[in-house]
Amino acid sequence: MKNLRKVGLVGATLVSLAGGVAMSAGGQPPPLPIEPIGIIETLPKDYPESWFLVHDASFFQMSDGKVYVIDIEGNDLHEQVKGTFNVVLMGNLTQSARRHEIYATETFHSRGTRGKREDLVTIWDQETLSPVGEVLWPKPKRFTGMPQRFAMLLIDNDRWLAVANFSPATSVTLIDLDTRKIINEIPTPGCVFVYPTGERGFSSLCADGRFLSAELAEDGTLIELTRTDVFFDSDTTPIYERPAVIGDTAYFPTLAGLVYPVDISGKVAKVGEPWSLVSETESEGKWAPGGIALIDKDDLGRFYILMHPDSKDGSYQGGGPEVWVFDPVKQKRVQKISMQAWGLSLAVSRGKTPQLMVTNPTDMSLEIYDGLSGEFVKTITGFGQSTPLMMHGSR
Amino acid sequence: MKIFDRLFEQQARQLAQRSSRRGLLKGLGGLLVGGAAVPLLPVSRVHAAEKPMDKGDPSSCDYWRYCAMDGFLCDCCGGSANTCPPGTEMSPITWIGTCRNPADGRSYIISYNDCCGKSSCGACLCQRDEGDRPPYRPDKTNDINWCLGTESAAYHCSTAIVVGVAFEET
Repeated sequence: MKNLRKVGLVGATLVSLAGGVAMSAGGQPPPLPIEPIGIIETLPKDYPESWFLVHDASFFQMSDGKVYVIDIEGNDLHEQVKGTFNVVLMGNLTQSARRHEIYATETFHSRGTRGKREDLVTIWDQETLSPVGEVLWPKPKRFTGMPQRFAMLLIDNDRWLAVANFSPATSVTLIDLDTRKIINEIPTPGCVFVYPTGERGFSSLCADGRFLSAELAEDGTLIELTRTDVFFDSDTTPIYERPAVIGDTAYFPTLAGLVYPVDISGKVAKVGEPWSLVSETESEGKWAPGGIALIDKDDLGRFYILMHPDSKDGSYQGGGPEVWVFDPVKQKRVQKISMQAWGLSLAVSRGKTPQLMVTNPTDMSLEIYDGLSGEFVKTITGFGQSTPLMMHGSR
Repeated sequence: MKIFDRLFEQQARQLAQRSSRRGLLKGLGGLLVGGAAVPLLPVSRVHAAEKPMDKGDPSSCDYWRYCAMDGFLCDCCGGSANTCPPGTEMSPITWIGTCRNPADGRSYIISYNDCCGKSSCGACLCQRDEGDRPPYRPDKTNDINWCLGTESAAYHCSTAIVVGVAFEET
């Protein structure tokens, strides 16, 4: 039987080849060229304005968290999905356009979900989406939790990377990105995360309603830690830990709908007078901010914030049906975007024609709106996402 | 914060009573007092038969204990509202909430200890966030992965354990 099969196979091949020659001779198009095997795509060194980093922490499979590089100008998945890279176990990320690198905190165990734990920052190359470096924590303690924009911070023209720790003791690990070495760990007792402050420093947000500002020396050593005055009560008048940073001002919304402008140009954070996002009429409808990545800014000096009516205890992370756009200098709303569906997280692209990306929590699709007109543009979905709840406009 | 302070005070007192020499004295004292009281007190048999009231479906996000919950309910994962599934490890530190038990009208301090060491349970995802605060208030935040102080940082599911009766603020 084996011999008969061989004879049949050879015969079929000969017929096929003969047919192919005959078709070419008869005016048929030439055959497809032989294709090389082993080609791997690469990306441009500088990401276009229309590209986003969509961070899917994958809450149902946290060891498979990943980031999708998405071009919202694409017409189909082939054009939209530019590539992915993994961020394992509730990591966070930030991007340095100057260095053409993306930094992500990750946690691994030697046996998957068990065994020795290692915390590290993985350095991803923007062109290849391959890891080009690692910075290992001497003792695992980096913050793991819901994705945050300010769990990591680039400092001093991207010379250093500051990373928030929570063990639950809180501190900040400082990495020199030239040498890819840890150069310091600054304790931040009672305070978490890393917000830009001054030329070479950071601030953390504290349980007792104030900032802790750290001033750093040229070599990364700590010059001084300064606690600001108390400006909110974390029980009765809590603020979000998620600001929009525009120039030298960080705008921190409160759960109730105020916003605190914080001057971050000096060595110590300076908290300004709060103003309201909500009019008296809207206040009657109990409109308030809500969402996970609920606020972001554009390059025109405006911030975008997810809002919801009928706010109540427990609704502050639930998202909302509208995005309000504010000119914070004028303290005035300049745009109100009523979304097609509920939104849970948002991000805004850079450039003069900002585009708004919003996560629809019902089907975890991404909806795109024009940041200037507020008009719905398209839905991006079906790219393998699970819980894409933190997005970053590319830098 | 008052509720939290009082809870710690109550737990500290209980711990002190359980400790070494003081515990021995307290035990002896209790035995003596108890021994004396047994034949003397008119014990109500009706009262003794009453049981604490705890109604609701622990597999449902609506269950009263889950007021500050954000995570997979261990009750759907091989554990229960107050136990971890087999082979996991319970986080020793966590966030707390204050939830009212509709069956007896009391508010209780609930400790949401995570169960760790296996990948996400994936069942009965529940987010209520009542009384929840951002991570700058770790004692009240569910946004942190509380698989801390455990062998593994892998999050599996969350429990909701009654650890005390909350004092009403006056």
